[in-house]
Amino acid sequence: MRQAHVSGHRRGIWETLKPYLFLLPMLVLAAGFVYYPFLKTALQSVSTVNFRGDVTGFAGLENFRYLFSRREFGIAVRNTLKLMLINVPVTLFVTIFLAWFSHRRRPLSFLYETMFSLPMTVSMAAITLIFKVLLNPTVGYVNYALGLNVGWYTDRHTAMAGILMLTVWMGIGFNYLLFLSAFRGIPEDLIGSARLEGAGALRILFQLQLPLISPTILYVLCTNMIQAMMTSGPILILTQGGPSRSTTTLIYLMYTAGYRSSNYSLAAAVSLITFGMTLTFTVLLFMLEKRRVHYQ
Amino acid sequence: MTKKTMRRALQALLDVVGVLLGCLVMFPVFYGILGAFKTPAEFISDPPTVLPQSFCNLQNFSTVFSQVPMLRYFLNSLITATLTSVVRLAVAALAAYAFSFFSFRGQGVLFFLILGTMMLPADTLLIANYQTVSHLGLLDTYLGICIVSFVGASQMFMLRQHFKAAPVSVREAAQIDGCGDIRFIVSILLPMSLPLLLILFVQSFVAQWNTYLWPLLVTNTTAMRTVQVGITMLTTIEGTNYETVLAGATVAMIPAALLFIGMRRSLTASLDDGALAG
Repeated sequence: MRQAHVSGHRRGIWETLKPYLFLLPMLVLAAGFVYYPFLKTALQSVSTVNFRGDVTGFAGLENFRYLFSRREFGIAVRNTLKLMLINVPVTLFVTIFLAWFSHRRRPLSFLYETMFSLPMTVSMAAITLIFKVLLNPTVGYVNYALGLNVGWYTDRHTAMAGILMLTVWMGIGFNYLLFLSAFRGIPEDLIGSARLEGAGALRILFQLQLPLISPTILYVLCTNMIQAMMTSGPILILTQGGPSRSTTTLIYLMYTAGYRSSNYSLAAAVSLITFGMTLTFTVLLFMLEKRRVHYQ
Repeated sequence: MTKKTMRRALQALLDVVGVLLGCLVMFPVFYGILGAFKTPAEFISDPPTVLPQSFCNLQNFSTVFSQVPMLRYFLNSLITATLTSVVRLAVAALAAYAFSFFSFRGQGVLFFLILGTMMLPADTLLIANYQTVSHLGLLDTYLGICIVSFVGASQMFMLRQHFKAAPVSVREAAQIDGCGDIRFIVSILLPMSLPLLLILFVQSFVAQWNTYLWPLLVTNTTAMRTVQVGITMLTTIEGTNYETVLAGATVAMIPAALLFIGMRRSLTASLDDGALAG
Protein backbone atom coordinates (compact mmCIF):
# COMPACT_ATOMS: atom_id res chain seq x y z
CA MET A 1 0.00 0.00 0.00
CA ARG A 2 2.67 2.44 1.09
CA GLN A 3 4.81 1.69 -1.87
CA ALA A 4 1.92 2.22 -4.21
CA HIS A 5 1.28 5.57 -2.59
CA VAL A 6 4.91 6.68 -3.02
CA SER A 7 5.01 5.67 -6.64
CA GLY A 8 1.72 7.43 -7.18
CA HIS A 9 3.18 10.59 -5.69
CA ARG A 10 6.27 10.29 -7.82
CA ARG A 11 4.11 9.80 -10.86
CA GLY A 12 2.35 13.05 -9.91
CA ILE A 13 5.60 15.03 -9.96
CA TRP A 14 6.59 13.34 -13.19
CA GLU A 15 3.24 14.23 -14.75
CA THR A 16 3.68 17.86 -13.67
CA LEU A 17 7.20 18.07 -15.08
CA LYS A 18 6.50 16.30 -18.32
CA PRO A 19 5.09 19.19 -20.39
CA TYR A 20 8.09 21.33 -19.42
CA LEU A 21 10.45 18.58 -20.55
CA PHE A 22 8.77 18.45 -23.94
CA LEU A 23 9.10 22.22 -24.20
CA LEU A 24 12.72 22.27 -23.06
CA PRO A 25 14.48 21.99 -26.47
CA MET A 26 12.33 24.74 -27.96
CA LEU A 27 12.78 27.02 -24.96
CA VAL A 28 16.56 26.52 -24.81
CA LEU A 29 16.95 27.23 -28.53
CA ALA A 30 14.61 30.24 -28.45
CA ALA A 31 16.46 31.63 -25.44
CA GLY A 32 19.91 30.97 -26.89
CA PHE A 33 19.44 32.09 -30.47
CA VAL A 34 16.62 34.64 -30.35
CA TYR A 35 16.21 36.27 -26.94
CA TYR A 36 19.82 36.14 -25.79
CA PRO A 37 21.21 37.70 -29.00
CA PHE A 38 18.50 40.35 -28.83
CA LEU A 39 19.39 41.30 -25.25
CA LYS A 40 23.07 41.14 -26.14
CA THR A 41 22.52 43.49 -29.07
CA ALA A 42 20.63 45.89 -26.81
CA LEU A 43 23.44 45.73 -24.23
CA GLN A 44 26.23 46.16 -26.77
CA SER A 45 24.53 49.18 -28.29
CA VAL A 46 25.03 51.11 -25.04
CA SER A 47 28.50 49.73 -24.27
CA THR A 48 32.03 49.86 -25.49
CA VAL A 49 32.89 46.51 -27.02
CA ASN A 50 36.29 45.17 -28.06
CA PHE A 51 37.00 43.38 -31.33
CA ARG A 52 36.30 39.98 -29.73
CA GLY A 53 32.82 41.07 -28.75
CA ASP A 54 33.49 41.47 -25.00
CA VAL A 55 31.79 44.38 -23.28
CA THR A 56 34.49 46.62 -21.78
CA GLY A 57 32.44 49.49 -20.39
CA PHE A 58 29.26 51.54 -20.37
CA ALA A 59 28.95 54.06 -23.18
CA GLY A 60 25.46 55.46 -22.67
CA LEU A 61 24.12 56.83 -25.91
CA GLU A 62 27.59 57.53 -27.30
CA ASN A 63 27.31 54.80 -29.97
CA PHE A 64 24.04 56.26 -31.19
CA ARG A 65 25.43 59.80 -31.18
CA TYR A 66 28.40 58.64 -33.22
CA LEU A 67 26.12 56.74 -35.58
CA PHE A 68 23.81 59.73 -36.13
CA SER A 69 26.82 61.92 -36.90
CA ARG A 70 27.93 59.68 -39.75
CA ARG A 71 26.66 60.59 -43.18
CA GLU A 72 26.25 57.01 -44.33
CA PHE A 73 23.74 56.31 -41.56
CA GLY A 74 21.32 58.94 -42.85
CA ILE A 75 21.83 57.63 -46.36
CA ALA A 76 21.15 54.05 -45.21
CA VAL A 77 17.93 55.09 -43.43
CA ARG A 78 16.75 56.96 -46.51
CA ASN A 79 17.62 54.10 -48.87
CA THR A 80 15.94 51.49 -46.66
CA LEU A 81 12.76 53.56 -46.36
CA LYS A 82 12.73 54.24 -50.09
CA LEU A 83 13.14 50.55 -50.83
CA MET A 84 10.36 49.60 -48.42
CA LEU A 85 7.93 52.34 -49.50
CA ILE A 86 8.21 51.39 -53.16
CA ASN A 87 8.61 47.63 -52.84
CA VAL A 88 5.59 47.00 -50.59
CA PRO A 89 2.85 48.69 -52.66
CA VAL A 90 4.26 47.44 -55.98
CA THR A 91 4.44 43.84 -54.74
CA LEU A 92 0.94 44.14 -53.33
CA PHE A 93 -0.44 45.49 -56.60
CA VAL A 94 1.31 42.89 -58.79
CA THR A 95 0.40 39.88 -56.66
CA ILE A 96 -3.22 40.92 -56.11
CA PHE A 97 -3.58 41.52 -59.83
CA LEU A 98 -2.13 38.11 -60.73
CA ALA A 99 -4.28 36.35 -58.13
CA TRP A 100 -7.42 38.19 -59.23
CA PHE A 101 -6.69 37.36 -62.85
CA SER A 102 -6.21 33.65 -62.17
CA HIS A 103 -8.61 32.87 -59.33
CA ARG A 104 -11.36 31.52 -61.62
CA ARG A 105 -10.29 28.12 -62.83
CA ARG A 106 -9.74 27.72 -66.58
CA PRO A 107 -8.35 24.85 -68.64
CA LEU A 108 -4.76 26.14 -68.47
CA SER A 109 -4.93 27.50 -64.91
CA PHE A 110 -2.50 24.93 -63.55
CA LEU A 111 0.16 26.14 -65.99
CA TYR A 112 0.22 29.80 -65.08
CA GLU A 113 -0.56 29.17 -61.42
CA THR A 114 2.73 27.25 -61.34
CA MET A 115 4.57 29.96 -63.27
CA PHE A 116 3.30 32.73 -60.97
CA SER A 117 4.26 30.84 -57.81
CA LEU A 118 7.57 29.30 -58.92
CA PRO A 119 9.61 32.44 -58.03
CA MET A 120 9.19 31.44 -54.38
CA THR A 121 11.52 28.47 -54.87
CA VAL A 122 14.26 30.42 -56.63
CA SER A 123 17.01 31.39 -54.23
CA MET A 124 18.04 34.97 -53.70
CA ALA A 125 21.60 34.17 -54.78
CA ALA A 126 20.57 32.51 -58.06
CA ILE A 127 18.09 35.18 -59.18
CA THR A 128 20.48 37.94 -58.14
CA LEU A 129 23.18 36.50 -60.39
CA ILE A 130 20.67 36.20 -63.24
CA PHE A 131 19.59 39.84 -62.81
CA LYS A 132 23.23 40.83 -62.79
CA VAL A 133 23.56 39.44 -66.31
CA LEU A 134 20.06 40.44 -67.43
CA LEU A 135 20.65 44.09 -66.48
CA ASN A 136 24.26 44.16 -67.66
CA PRO A 137 24.63 47.36 -69.72
CA THR A 138 26.43 45.69 -72.65
CA VAL A 139 25.40 42.02 -72.93
CA GLY A 140 22.15 42.15 -70.91
CA TYR A 141 18.82 41.66 -72.59
CA VAL A 142 16.77 44.33 -70.79
CA ASN A 143 18.61 47.34 -72.22
CA TYR A 144 18.39 45.83 -75.69
CA ALA A 145 14.69 44.90 -75.46
CA LEU A 146 13.68 48.30 -74.07
CA GLY A 147 16.06 50.25 -76.28
CA LEU A 148 17.76 51.76 -73.23
CA ASN A 149 21.35 52.65 -72.54
CA VAL A 150 21.35 52.42 -68.76
CA GLY A 151 24.15 51.23 -66.47
CA TRP A 152 21.71 49.86 -63.86
CA TYR A 153 23.85 48.51 -61.02
CA THR A 154 26.87 50.60 -62.03
CA ASP A 155 25.07 53.94 -62.05
CA ARG A 156 24.11 55.57 -58.77
CA HIS A 157 20.87 56.94 -60.22
CA THR A 158 19.55 53.57 -61.38
CA ALA A 159 21.14 51.07 -58.97
CA MET A 160 18.25 51.28 -56.49
CA ALA A 161 15.71 50.81 -59.30
CA GLY A 162 17.59 47.67 -60.33
CA ILE A 163 17.55 46.36 -56.74
CA LEU A 164 13.81 47.10 -56.53
CA MET A 165 13.05 45.16 -59.71
CA LEU A 166 14.86 42.22 -58.17
CA THR A 167 13.23 42.38 -54.72
CA VAL A 168 9.74 42.82 -56.18
CA TRP A 169 10.31 39.77 -58.35
CA MET A 170 11.44 37.75 -55.33
CA GLY A 171 8.22 38.62 -53.49
CA ILE A 172 5.85 37.45 -56.20
CA GLY A 173 5.63 33.69 -55.62
CA PHE A 174 4.52 33.22 -52.05
CA ASN A 175 2.34 36.33 -51.82
CA TYR A 176 0.60 35.34 -55.04
CA LEU A 177 -0.25 31.95 -53.55
CA LEU A 178 -1.62 33.58 -50.39
CA PHE A 179 -3.87 35.91 -52.40
CA LEU A 180 -4.95 33.13 -54.73
CA SER A 181 -6.21 31.01 -51.86
CA ALA A 182 -7.82 34.09 -50.27
CA PHE A 183 -9.73 34.87 -53.48
CA ARG A 184 -10.78 31.24 -53.80
CA GLY A 185 -11.88 31.16 -50.18
CA ILE A 186 -14.67 33.65 -50.88
CA PRO A 187 -17.99 31.75 -51.09
CA GLU A 188 -19.05 31.32 -54.70
CA ASP A 189 -22.70 32.29 -54.05
CA LEU A 190 -21.69 35.75 -52.72
CA ILE A 191 -20.03 36.55 -56.06
CA GLY A 192 -22.85 34.88 -57.97
CA SER A 193 -25.61 36.94 -56.36
CA ALA A 194 -23.63 40.16 -56.87
CA ARG A 195 -23.29 39.26 -60.51
CA LEU A 196 -27.03 38.55 -60.78
CA GLU A 197 -27.65 42.06 -59.47
CA GLY A 198 -25.66 43.31 -62.44
CA ALA A 199 -22.37 44.19 -60.73
CA GLY A 200 -19.37 44.17 -63.11
CA ALA A 201 -16.07 42.41 -62.41
CA LEU A 202 -14.35 45.59 -61.20
CA ARG A 203 -17.19 46.52 -58.88
CA ILE A 204 -17.17 43.02 -57.42
CA LEU A 205 -13.40 43.31 -56.94
CA PHE A 206 -13.44 46.64 -55.11
CA GLN A 207 -16.66 46.33 -53.14
CA LEU A 208 -16.74 42.63 -52.36
CA GLN A 209 -13.51 40.74 -52.92
CA LEU A 210 -10.89 43.21 -51.66
CA PRO A 211 -12.74 43.91 -48.38
CA LEU A 212 -13.17 40.17 -47.86
CA ILE A 213 -9.48 39.42 -48.37
CA SER A 214 -8.32 42.37 -46.23
CA PRO A 215 -6.89 40.07 -43.51
CA THR A 216 -4.56 38.55 -46.13
CA ILE A 217 -3.69 42.05 -47.36
CA LEU A 218 -2.70 43.07 -43.85
CA TYR A 219 -0.62 39.92 -43.43
CA VAL A 220 1.21 40.46 -46.73
CA LEU A 221 1.73 44.15 -45.94
CA CYS A 222 3.36 43.23 -42.64
CA THR A 223 5.58 40.40 -43.82
CA ASN A 224 6.64 42.31 -46.93
CA MET A 225 7.40 45.42 -44.95
CA ILE A 226 9.61 43.44 -42.56
CA GLN A 227 11.35 41.69 -45.44
CA ALA A 228 11.97 44.98 -47.27
CA MET A 229 13.39 46.57 -44.12
CA MET A 230 15.86 43.65 -43.94
CA THR A 231 17.06 43.86 -47.57
CA SER A 232 20.77 43.13 -47.72
CA GLY A 233 21.58 39.97 -49.70
CA PRO A 234 21.24 41.33 -53.25
CA ILE A 235 23.19 44.42 -52.20
CA LEU A 236 25.99 42.28 -50.81
CA ILE A 237 26.23 40.32 -54.07
CA LEU A 238 25.54 43.07 -56.62
CA THR A 239 26.58 46.50 -55.50
CA GLN A 240 28.41 46.39 -52.15
CA GLY A 241 26.22 49.33 -51.12
CA GLY A 242 27.41 51.46 -54.05
CA PRO A 243 27.84 53.14 -56.42
CA SER A 244 28.56 56.05 -54.08
CA ARG A 245 26.39 54.54 -51.31
CA SER A 246 23.23 54.71 -53.40
CA THR A 247 22.21 51.19 -52.31
CA THR A 248 23.56 51.11 -48.75
CA THR A 249 20.76 49.79 -46.53
CA LEU A 250 20.59 49.50 -42.75
CA ILE A 251 21.22 45.76 -42.56
CA TYR A 252 24.04 46.09 -45.09
CA LEU A 253 25.54 48.80 -42.88
CA MET A 254 25.14 46.52 -39.84
CA TYR A 255 26.84 43.70 -41.71
CA THR A 256 29.82 45.79 -42.75
CA ALA A 257 30.20 47.43 -39.33
CA GLY A 258 29.91 44.18 -37.40
CA TYR A 259 31.45 41.58 -39.62
CA ARG A 260 33.97 43.43 -41.74
CA SER A 261 35.15 46.03 -39.21
CA SER A 262 34.37 44.09 -35.99
CA ASN A 263 32.81 47.27 -34.61
CA TYR A 264 30.21 45.37 -32.63
CA SER A 265 28.75 48.26 -30.66
CA LEU A 266 28.09 50.21 -33.84
CA ALA A 267 26.55 47.15 -35.52
CA ALA A 268 24.38 46.61 -32.44
CA ALA A 269 23.16 50.22 -32.56
CA VAL A 270 22.24 49.91 -36.25
CA SER A 271 20.50 46.58 -35.61
CA LEU A 272 18.49 48.00 -32.70
CA ILE A 273 17.37 51.01 -34.72
CA THR A 274 16.33 48.79 -37.63
CA PHE A 275 14.38 46.61 -35.22
CA GLY A 276 12.74 49.66 -33.62
CA MET A 277 11.71 51.08 -36.98
CA THR A 278 10.30 47.74 -38.14
CA LEU A 279 8.34 47.30 -34.91
CA THR A 280 6.94 50.84 -35.18
CA PHE A 281 5.74 50.21 -38.74
CA THR A 282 4.14 46.91 -37.70
CA VAL A 283 2.25 48.61 -34.87
CA LEU A 284 1.20 51.44 -37.21
CA LEU A 285 -0.12 48.95 -39.76
CA PHE A 286 -2.20 47.20 -37.14
CA MET A 287 -3.52 50.51 -35.80
CA LEU A 288 -4.48 51.55 -39.32
CA GLU A 289 -6.32 48.29 -39.79
CA LYS A 290 -8.18 48.70 -36.50
CA ARG A 291 -9.28 52.22 -37.38
CA ARG A 292 -10.40 51.24 -40.82
CA VAL A 293 -12.50 48.41 -39.48
CA HIS A 294 -13.83 50.62 -36.70
CA TYR A 295 -15.08 53.34 -39.01
CA GLN A 296 -16.71 50.97 -41.45
CA MET B 1 -22.20 33.04 -82.47
CA THR B 2 -24.10 31.81 -79.46
CA LYS B 3 -23.45 33.12 -76.00
CA LYS B 4 -21.85 29.85 -75.01
CA THR B 5 -19.21 29.84 -77.73
CA MET B 6 -18.55 33.52 -77.00
CA ARG B 7 -17.85 32.68 -73.39
CA ARG B 8 -15.67 29.77 -74.36
CA ALA B 9 -13.66 31.98 -76.72
CA LEU B 10 -13.20 34.54 -73.95
CA GLN B 11 -11.97 31.83 -71.57
CA ALA B 12 -9.50 30.61 -74.17
CA LEU B 13 -8.29 34.17 -74.73
CA LEU B 14 -7.82 34.70 -70.98
CA ASP B 15 -5.92 31.41 -70.84
CA VAL B 16 -3.54 32.66 -73.51
CA VAL B 17 -3.08 35.96 -71.67
CA GLY B 18 -2.39 33.97 -68.49
CA VAL B 19 0.31 31.88 -70.10
CA LEU B 20 1.89 35.03 -71.58
CA LEU B 21 1.85 36.71 -68.16
CA GLY B 22 3.37 33.55 -66.69
CA CYS B 23 6.16 33.68 -69.24
CA LEU B 24 6.77 37.33 -68.40
CA VAL B 25 7.06 36.53 -64.69
CA MET B 26 9.30 33.56 -65.39
CA PHE B 27 11.34 35.39 -68.04
CA PRO B 28 14.40 35.98 -65.80
CA VAL B 29 14.47 32.28 -64.88
CA PHE B 30 14.08 31.15 -68.51
CA TYR B 31 16.72 33.68 -69.56
CA GLY B 32 19.11 32.30 -66.95
CA ILE B 33 18.57 28.66 -67.90
CA LEU B 34 18.79 29.34 -71.67
CA GLY B 35 21.85 31.51 -71.22
CA ALA B 36 23.62 28.66 -69.48
CA PHE B 37 23.73 26.81 -72.81
CA LYS B 38 25.33 29.66 -74.77
CA THR B 39 28.92 29.91 -75.95
CA PRO B 40 30.97 32.98 -75.00
CA ALA B 41 30.75 34.22 -78.59
CA GLU B 42 26.96 33.93 -78.57
CA PHE B 43 26.81 35.86 -75.37
CA ILE B 44 28.55 38.97 -76.60
CA SER B 45 26.80 38.84 -79.99
CA ASP B 46 25.01 42.00 -81.05
CA PRO B 47 22.00 42.07 -80.85
CA PRO B 48 21.75 39.84 -77.76
CA THR B 49 19.69 36.69 -78.12
CA VAL B 50 17.53 34.72 -75.70
CA LEU B 51 17.64 31.26 -77.26
CA PRO B 52 20.97 29.46 -77.47
CA GLN B 53 22.03 28.01 -80.83
CA SER B 54 22.20 24.52 -79.40
CA PHE B 55 21.19 22.78 -76.19
CA CYS B 56 24.08 20.35 -76.57
CA ASN B 57 26.63 22.87 -75.33
CA LEU B 58 27.24 21.65 -71.78
CA GLN B 59 30.62 23.33 -71.55
CA ASN B 60 29.42 25.93 -69.03
CA PHE B 61 28.11 23.28 -66.66
CA SER B 62 31.37 21.38 -66.71
CA THR B 63 33.22 24.67 -66.14
CA VAL B 64 31.06 25.27 -63.04
CA PHE B 65 31.93 21.86 -61.65
CA SER B 66 35.64 22.25 -62.39
CA GLN B 67 36.04 25.88 -61.26
CA VAL B 68 34.46 25.29 -57.85
CA PRO B 69 33.80 22.06 -55.92
CA MET B 70 30.12 22.13 -56.82
CA LEU B 71 29.45 18.54 -55.73
CA ARG B 72 30.84 19.33 -52.30
CA TYR B 73 28.63 22.46 -52.12
CA PHE B 74 25.62 20.32 -53.03
CA LEU B 75 26.47 17.81 -50.32
CA ASN B 76 26.87 20.62 -47.77
CA SER B 77 23.53 22.18 -48.73
CA LEU B 78 21.80 18.80 -48.69
CA ILE B 79 23.15 17.95 -45.23
CA THR B 80 22.41 21.35 -43.67
CA ALA B 81 18.94 21.68 -45.23
CA THR B 82 17.96 18.17 -44.12
CA LEU B 83 19.43 18.51 -40.62
CA THR B 84 17.78 21.89 -40.09
CA SER B 85 14.37 20.72 -41.25
CA VAL B 86 14.40 17.47 -39.25
CA VAL B 87 15.55 19.09 -36.00
CA ARG B 88 13.25 22.08 -36.44
CA LEU B 89 10.22 19.84 -36.94
CA ALA B 90 11.18 17.50 -34.09
CA VAL B 91 11.63 20.39 -31.65
CA ALA B 92 8.40 21.99 -32.86
CA ALA B 93 6.46 18.72 -32.61
CA LEU B 94 7.57 18.13 -29.01
CA ALA B 95 6.55 21.65 -28.02
CA ALA B 96 3.26 21.36 -29.90
CA TYR B 97 2.59 18.07 -28.08
CA ALA B 98 3.07 19.76 -24.70
CA PHE B 99 0.72 22.60 -25.64
CA SER B 100 -2.04 20.42 -27.04
CA PHE B 101 -2.20 17.49 -24.58
CA PHE B 102 -1.23 19.04 -21.22
CA SER B 103 -2.39 21.92 -19.13
CA PHE B 104 0.30 23.36 -16.91
CA ARG B 105 1.32 26.49 -15.05
CA GLY B 106 2.77 29.21 -17.27
CA GLN B 107 1.30 27.66 -20.41
CA GLY B 108 0.07 30.95 -21.87
CA VAL B 109 3.27 32.85 -21.09
CA LEU B 110 5.50 30.15 -22.59
CA PHE B 111 3.30 29.93 -25.67
CA PHE B 112 3.61 33.64 -26.36
CA LEU B 113 7.30 33.58 -25.53
CA ILE B 114 7.80 31.04 -28.31
CA LEU B 115 5.52 32.83 -30.79
CA GLY B 116 7.28 36.07 -29.84
CA THR B 117 10.44 34.82 -31.55
CA MET B 118 8.69 35.64 -34.82
CA MET B 119 8.72 39.32 -33.87
CA LEU B 120 12.53 39.43 -33.82
CA PRO B 121 13.81 39.27 -37.41
CA ALA B 122 16.79 36.92 -37.76
CA ASP B 123 18.73 39.50 -39.79
CA THR B 124 18.92 41.93 -36.89
CA LEU B 125 20.33 39.14 -34.67
CA LEU B 126 22.96 38.11 -37.20
CA ILE B 127 26.01 39.70 -35.60
CA ALA B 128 25.15 38.68 -32.03
CA ASN B 129 24.46 35.10 -33.14
CA TYR B 130 27.75 35.11 -35.02
CA GLN B 131 29.53 35.88 -31.75
CA THR B 132 27.67 33.07 -29.94
CA VAL B 133 28.43 30.49 -32.61
CA SER B 134 32.02 31.66 -32.71
CA HIS B 135 32.36 31.30 -28.91
CA LEU B 136 30.85 27.82 -29.08
CA GLY B 137 33.59 26.90 -31.56
CA LEU B 138 31.01 26.12 -34.23
CA LEU B 139 32.36 28.34 -37.00
CA ASP B 140 32.80 26.41 -40.23
CA THR B 141 30.75 23.41 -39.04
CA TYR B 142 27.42 21.98 -40.18
CA LEU B 143 25.94 22.51 -36.73
CA GLY B 144 27.03 26.15 -36.83
CA ILE B 145 25.23 26.68 -40.12
CA CYS B 146 22.04 25.01 -38.85
CA ILE B 147 21.77 25.89 -35.19
CA VAL B 148 20.24 29.37 -35.53
CA SER B 149 17.41 27.96 -37.67
CA PHE B 150 16.24 25.25 -35.26
CA VAL B 151 13.57 27.46 -33.68
CA GLY B 152 10.41 27.10 -35.76
CA ALA B 153 7.64 28.99 -33.99
CA SER B 154 5.28 28.98 -36.95
CA GLN B 155 5.84 25.23 -37.44
CA MET B 156 5.10 24.70 -33.75
CA PHE B 157 1.91 26.74 -34.10
CA MET B 158 0.63 24.82 -37.11
CA LEU B 159 1.41 21.44 -35.56
CA ARG B 160 -0.40 22.47 -32.39
CA GLN B 161 -3.48 23.42 -34.39
CA HIS B 162 -3.32 20.04 -36.05
CA PHE B 163 -2.69 18.04 -32.86
CA LYS B 164 -5.56 19.79 -31.12
CA ALA B 165 -7.92 18.50 -33.77
CA ALA B 166 -6.96 14.93 -32.85
CA PRO B 167 -9.57 13.46 -30.54
CA VAL B 168 -8.45 13.23 -26.90
CA SER B 169 -9.91 9.72 -26.82
CA VAL B 170 -7.12 8.53 -29.12
CA ARG B 171 -4.50 9.49 -26.55
CA GLU B 172 -6.52 8.13 -23.65
CA ALA B 173 -6.95 4.81 -25.39
CA ALA B 174 -3.24 4.71 -26.13
CA GLN B 175 -2.40 5.48 -22.48
CA ILE B 176 -4.66 2.71 -21.22
CA ASP B 177 -2.82 0.37 -23.54
CA GLY B 178 0.37 1.41 -21.76
CA CYS B 179 1.65 3.52 -24.63
CA GLY B 180 4.20 6.08 -23.40
CA ASP B 181 4.37 9.66 -24.61
CA ILE B 182 7.27 9.25 -27.02
CA ARG B 183 5.77 6.10 -28.48
CA PHE B 184 2.41 7.85 -28.82
CA ILE B 185 4.04 10.76 -30.66
CA VAL B 186 6.17 8.62 -32.94
CA SER B 187 3.74 5.84 -33.81
CA ILE B 188 0.34 7.55 -33.69
CA LEU B 189 0.47 11.35 -33.68
CA LEU B 190 3.15 11.95 -36.32
CA PRO B 191 1.80 9.40 -38.83
CA MET B 192 -1.60 11.05 -38.38
CA SER B 193 -0.05 14.42 -39.31
CA LEU B 194 2.07 13.16 -42.18
CA PRO B 195 0.63 15.43 -44.93
CA LEU B 196 1.21 18.55 -42.84
CA LEU B 197 4.68 17.37 -41.77
CA LEU B 198 5.61 16.78 -45.39
CA ILE B 199 4.60 20.30 -46.39
CA LEU B 200 6.39 21.85 -43.43
CA PHE B 201 9.45 19.79 -44.30
CA VAL B 202 9.49 20.93 -47.92
CA GLN B 203 8.96 24.54 -46.87
CA SER B 204 11.82 24.32 -44.35
CA PHE B 205 14.08 22.50 -46.75
CA VAL B 206 13.59 25.03 -49.56
CA ALA B 207 14.11 27.95 -47.17
CA GLN B 208 17.30 26.47 -45.75
CA TRP B 209 18.56 25.41 -49.18
CA ASN B 210 18.16 28.99 -50.37
CA THR B 211 19.57 30.80 -47.35
CA TYR B 212 22.62 32.93 -48.07
CA LEU B 213 23.72 35.50 -45.52
CA TRP B 214 24.16 33.28 -42.46
CA PRO B 215 26.11 30.47 -44.20
CA LEU B 216 28.30 33.16 -45.78
CA LEU B 217 29.00 34.58 -42.32
CA VAL B 218 29.82 31.36 -40.45
CA THR B 219 31.80 29.47 -43.06
CA ASN B 220 35.26 30.47 -44.19
CA THR B 221 36.71 27.46 -45.98
CA THR B 222 35.79 26.28 -49.45
CA ALA B 223 34.94 22.81 -48.15
CA MET B 224 32.12 24.16 -45.97
CA ARG B 225 30.44 26.56 -48.39
CA THR B 226 26.85 25.88 -49.40
CA VAL B 227 25.54 26.00 -52.98
CA GLN B 228 24.11 29.51 -52.63
CA VAL B 229 27.35 30.93 -51.28
CA GLY B 230 29.36 28.88 -53.75
CA ILE B 231 27.66 30.15 -56.89
CA THR B 232 28.30 33.79 -55.95
CA MET B 233 31.98 32.86 -55.65
CA LEU B 234 31.86 32.15 -59.39
CA THR B 235 31.67 35.87 -60.09
CA THR B 236 34.92 36.58 -58.30
CA ILE B 237 37.01 33.82 -59.90
CA GLU B 238 39.30 35.01 -62.66
CA GLY B 239 38.34 33.71 -66.09
CA THR B 240 34.70 32.93 -65.38
CA ASN B 241 32.17 34.79 -67.45
CA TYR B 242 28.44 35.38 -67.75
CA GLU B 243 27.48 32.00 -69.14
CA THR B 244 29.32 30.17 -66.38
CA VAL B 245 27.60 32.27 -63.73
CA LEU B 246 24.22 31.50 -65.30
CA ALA B 247 25.05 27.78 -65.42
CA GLY B 248 25.88 27.96 -61.69
CA ALA B 249 22.61 29.74 -60.94
CA THR B 250 20.70 27.14 -62.98
CA VAL B 251 22.28 24.24 -61.13
CA ALA B 252 21.46 25.86 -57.79
CA MET B 253 17.80 26.42 -58.74
CA ILE B 254 17.00 22.87 -59.80
CA PRO B 255 16.50 20.90 -56.54
CA ALA B 256 14.16 23.40 -54.88
CA ALA B 257 12.16 23.94 -58.07
CA LEU B 258 11.71 20.18 -58.63
CA LEU B 259 10.64 19.68 -55.03
CA PHE B 260 8.13 22.50 -55.40
CA ILE B 261 6.65 21.29 -58.67
CA GLY B 262 6.34 17.78 -57.23
CA MET B 263 4.59 19.10 -54.13
CA ARG B 264 2.54 21.86 -55.76
CA ARG B 265 -0.82 20.18 -55.34
CA SER B 266 -0.45 19.49 -51.65
CA LEU B 267 1.13 22.92 -51.13
CA THR B 268 -1.81 24.78 -52.63
CA ALA B 269 -4.25 22.44 -50.89
CA SER B 270 -2.65 23.25 -47.55
CA LEU B 271 -2.85 26.96 -48.35
CA ASP B 272 -6.56 26.55 -48.89
CA ASP B 273 -6.77 25.14 -45.37
CA GLY B 274 -4.86 28.18 -44.15
CA ALA B 275 -2.04 25.98 -42.87
CA LEU B 276 0.74 28.18 -44.20
CA ALA B 277 -0.91 31.52 -43.69
CA GLY B 278 0.01 31.77 -40.00
